[in-house]
Amino acid sequence: MRRQISSWEQVLHQFGLTLVGLFVLLPIWGMVYLAFEGGTMGWPSTFRLWPEEPTLRVFAQVWAQASQSMPFLALLKNSILVSGGSALISVALGTSMAYAFARYRFPGRKMGLFTLLVGALLPPVALMTPLYVLLTILKLRTTLLGLMIVYTAFSMPFCVWNMRSAFQSVPKDLEEAAFLDGASALRTFWRISLPIAIPSIAVAALIAFLIGYSEFAMGWLFVDKSANVTLAMAISGALGISTFSGSLLSALAILMSLPVVALFILLQHYLLDRLLFVSVGD
Amino acid sequence: MKSFRVFVYVLCALFATLIALNLRLRAVEQLPIDYDEDDYLGAAQRYAQAIRAADWQEITEYDYNYEHPPLTKLIYGFAILGLPEAPLIPERPSTDAPASSLPEPHFDVARKVSAAFGTLEVLALALINPLAGLLLGIHTWQIKYTSQIMLEPLPALTSLLTVLFYHRARQSKKRDALWLGLSALMLGITAASKYTYAVVGVVVLVDWLWAQYQPHQARHARAESGRPVWGQIIAWGLFAILIFFAFNPRLWADPLERLSQSVLYHGGYAQSEHVSRAGFPIWQQLVWLAGPVPWHPGVFVVMLDLYVLIFAVAGFKSLWTRYRVFALWLLVAGLFLLLWPTKWPQYVLTLTAPLSLSAAVGLQAALKKIRIPPRKVISSVSWRELRRAWPWLLPGTIILALIAFYPMVYQGAMSLTDFNTMSIRDGINGGVWREVWLGITGQTEPLAVDLWQYFDRFRRPTSTDVHYVGFSSLRSLFAGGIPDLLVFNILWAVLSVVLQAALGVVVALMLNREGVRGRGFWRTLFILPWAIPEFVGALIWLRLLEPGRGWLAVIENMPFDVWLPDFWANPGTRLLLLLLAAAWYGFPFIMLAATAGLKLISGEVYEAAAIDGAGRWQQFRYVTWPLLWPLVMPAVLIRLIFAFNQFYLFYTMQVNFPTITHATLSYYAFSPTFGGQFAVSAAINIFTVVVLVVLILWFNRRSQAVEGVTYA
Repeated sequence: MRRQISSWEQVLHQFGLTLVGLFVLLPIWGMVYLAFEGGTMGWPSTFRLWPEEPTLRVFAQVWAQASQSMPFLALLKNSILVSGGSALISVALGTSMAYAFARYRFPGRKMGLFTLLVGALLPPVALMTPLYVLLTILKLRTTLLGLMIVYTAFSMPFCVWNMRSAFQSVPKDLEEAAFLDGASALRTFWRISLPIAIPSIAVAALIAFLIGYSEFAMGWLFVDKSANVTLAMAISGALGISTFSGSLLSALAILMSLPVVALFILLQHYLLDRLLFVSVGD
Repeated sequence: MKSFRVFVYVLCALFATLIALNLRLRAVEQLPIDYDEDDYLGAAQRYAQAIRAADWQEITEYDYNYEHPPLTKLIYGFAILGLPEAPLIPERPSTDAPASSLPEPHFDVARKVSAAFGTLEVLALALINPLAGLLLGIHTWQIKYTSQIMLEPLPALTSLLTVLFYHRARQSKKRDALWLGLSALMLGITAASKYTYAVVGVVVLVDWLWAQYQPHQARHARAESGRPVWGQIIAWGLFAILIFFAFNPRLWADPLERLSQSVLYHGGYAQSEHVSRAGFPIWQQLVWLAGPVPWHPGVFVVMLDLYVLIFAVAGFKSLWTRYRVFALWLLVAGLFLLLWPTKWPQYVLTLTAPLSLSAAVGLQAALKKIRIPPRKVISSVSWRELRRAWPWLLPGTIILALIAFYPMVYQGAMSLTDFNTMSIRDGINGGVWREVWLGITGQTEPLAVDLWQYFDRFRRPTSTDVHYVGFSSLRSLFAGGIPDLLVFNILWAVLSVVLQAALGVVVALMLNREGVRGRGFWRTLFILPWAIPEFVGALIWLRLLEPGRGWLAVIENMPFDVWLPDFWANPGTRLLLLLLAAAWYGFPFIMLAATAGLKLISGEVYEAAAIDGAGRWQQFRYVTWPLLWPLVMPAVLIRLIFAFNQFYLFYTMQVNFPTITHATLSYYAFSPTFGGQFAVSAAINIFTVVVLVVLILWFNRRSQAVEGVTYA
C-alpha cells in the first residue's frame, strides 16, 4: 500500500499531534487543577500549572453542599429527573411517529420530515418566549414538570428524526415475513422492528438526555425555587456570583462532566452516526 | 429579431437609469445636510471665485482639505460658476456637526451634479447588464452618496468606466489600443478625484497578468498576441499617471512633495482618535452593505441592500466565469476595504458596481433554476397509506403540535404586537391573540412604534395593554435592520466551521497515516472537547481567557517580564479568541467524521496515483480530498448550523464580561438587553428561524447531491 513511515515522518507526526494535544488539554487542565486546590476564590491571581497543595477537600465540600443548601446528589437528582423525564417523553411518544415516517408513504410526509429537521436544528432559544408565556398560563412555569416540558420541546423533533432512520434500517423483508405469517401491524412492530431498533433508540434517548442535562439558561428563566435547581444551573448560578470560588466551580464541573465524557468515549461511533443527520431523501 | 432584442435591452437599460435618476432626485430634495457637504461646497465656492477672477495661482495653491485631490471640488466649482455669489461658507474642522444651512441654489445645483454622475454610473452598468443597473440604482448607500455633495460620485463613475473600457479592450481584437487608452484616461481621472478608488487600477493589472500567466491558457495567449504585454501595461500605467497629474492642478507646482503630503495624511488620520473612537470592527464595511442606510427614514423607497449582498455572494461563481475582471474587482476592493482602517460607509461605493453585477448574475441564475418541476407521479404516496399511518402518528403529532408548533405560531403572533413585561397580564389573558385578530381584520390601526427603541431603557413602554404594531418590526428585520448582528452571526458560523474543518481534517489525516505510534491514544484524547458538555467547555475557556484574571491575563503577573497584546481591546482579536474556543469545541466531531470517511477510501486509488507519479501533495489534492469532502460535508454542515446557533459560549463569556458586544442572534434573542421585551425577542426568533430554514433547505439539497456522489 503506502510507503513505510520514515522516522523523521514519525517525529513530525508526533510533534503535530502533541501540539494539538496541548491545545486540547491545556485549557481543560487550567480548570481541572483548580479543583484539587484548597478554596481559591475567583480565579487564581498568579500563574501556576499545578495546585499548591493538592487536596480532595473541595470535592468533599461540594458533595455535601454544592450550592446554597443543596447537596450534590439533590442537584443530580433534579437533573436526572428533568432530563431523563424529557428523554423518556420524547422517546415514548416519538417512537410510533418515527415508525410511521419510516414505514408509510403518506401524503405530507416530506413536509413533515422537513418540519422535524427544522425543529431538530433550531436553537433552544427559539421557543423560549412562547413557552415562557404558555407555561405561565398553565401555572407550570416554575415546576420541574414545566422544565421537563421545555426540554422535551427541544429534544423531541431530534429524537423522532433519529429514530426514523433507526426504523428505516430494519430490513423490510423481516416485517413482510411476519405479516405473511398473519401478525398484525402492531404485533410486527412490537416483536420485530422495535427490538432491532432498540440500541439506536437508546442512543437517541441518551442524546436527548444530554440536551437537558447540560442546559441551564432556560432553566434559570423558568425555575425560581432553589429546591428545583439542576446541576448545570447550579454551576452557572455559582459563576454569576461575583465572589465565586474557582475551586468549587471546577469540582462541580468535573463531577458533572465525568460520566458524560466516559459515555462519549465508550459510545463514540454510535453517537457520531446519530449526530450526523441523514437527509430528507430516503 | 436581433435588432428587436437589442431594442428591448436598451429599453431596459434606460428604464433602470430613469428609476435611478428619479430616486436620486428624490434624495437630493429630502436628505438632510450631512458631514463634509459644507466643506466641499465651500471649496467649490472658492474655486468658482478663483475661476471667475482667472486666478491660476489660487487654483493651484488652494489647499483646504488637501488630503483629497481637488478634481471633484473643482467640478462642483464649475457647476456653481454661473450662480450669483453667496457668502463663503466658513472653513471648519471636518469633525464638526453638519452645517445647519448652506447657500441656495448652490447647494441644490451641486447636489444635482452629484446625482448626474450617479445616474451616469447606473447607465454605464445597465448597458452591460440592465438588471445590475437597476440594482445599483436602488442601492440605498449608492443613492445617499451620489445625491449629496460628496467626493464619491465622480470616481465611482470613472472607476466603473476604467474597468468597462478595459473589459471592452479584452473582447475586441482590432481597436484595443483605443479602449485601453480610454481605460487609462478614466483611471487617471479616478485617482485625481479620490485616491482609494484607484484600487481598480490594481484590479485591471491583476486581471491582465492573470490572463497572461494562466497556466493552461498561457501558451495559447502568448502565441496569439505574439508581442510582449509588459510594454502595453507600462504604457497604460504611464498614461494613467500622466492624466492623474494633468487633472490635479495642486500638484503642478511641486508634484512629489505635495502628493506625499496629501497621501500621508490618511495614515495619520486612520490612527486618529476620531476614527478609533468610532470603534468599528474590521468587517464593518460588510455591516454597512448588509442593511439599508439606517439614518434617513422615508427617503429611500426600496430597501433591498441585504438581498443585493446575498445574491452577490450567490452569483460570485458565475460572475467569475462571465466577467472575471468584475469578480477580481469585488475581491481586490473587498480586501482593500477589510484592511483599510477607516471604515466610513461611503467607502462601500468602491465596490457597489461589481457587487450589483454579481447580484444580477446571481439573481438571473436563481430565476433560471426556479422552473416548476414536472409533477412526478409517486405511486407509493397514497391516501390509503395515511389511513394506515395515522394511529401511529397521532400521539407524537399532538404533543409536538402543543409544545413546538403552537408556540412557534404564538411567537409569530407576538412579533406583530408590542407585548412586554408591562403588559404581561393582558398578554397571557389572551391579549396577544385579541390584538392580532383585531389588527389583521383591520379593526384597529397598527400602533406606530419602533420596537427597537426599547433598546434604550429610558424609553421602555409603560402601557399595561398589548398593542398591535403590524409587520413593522419583522419588516425592519428582513430589510436588514440589525446588520451588525446578522453579519457577525454569519461570519462567526463560517469562520468557526472553516477552522474546525481544517483542524479536524488535518488531525484525521495524521491519525490515518499507517505506522504512526499511539493513534488510539491520540484519538481518545482528541475526543475530549466533544464529550465535555458545551457549557463546561465554555467555562474552561472563560477561565483561560477572562480579561484581567484569566490564565492568559495572569501570565503577565509572572516574575519575569511577559507582554501580551490586549486581545480584548478590539472586535477583531476578540473574535479570534472566541474562534479559538469554537475550534476547540468543534474539531473532534469533524475529525471523527473524516476518520470514518478515510477508512472508506481504498488503498488501490493511491496505488494508481503512485503509478501515475503523483507526489504527496498531488495525492491529497487530486485523490484524498475529492473523495473525502463529500463524506465530511454533512458533518461540516451540521457544525455550521450549530455554530450559527451557538449560545452557551456567548452566554458564559458574557456573565463576568459584558464587553462582548458581538454575539449570535440566538444570544440576542435571549439577551438580558431585552429584559422582558417578548415581542422583540419573538421577532428576532422568527427572523432566525427563517434564516435557518433557508440554510437547511440549502443543506438538504447539498447533502442529497452528496449521497448521489457516494453511491455513484
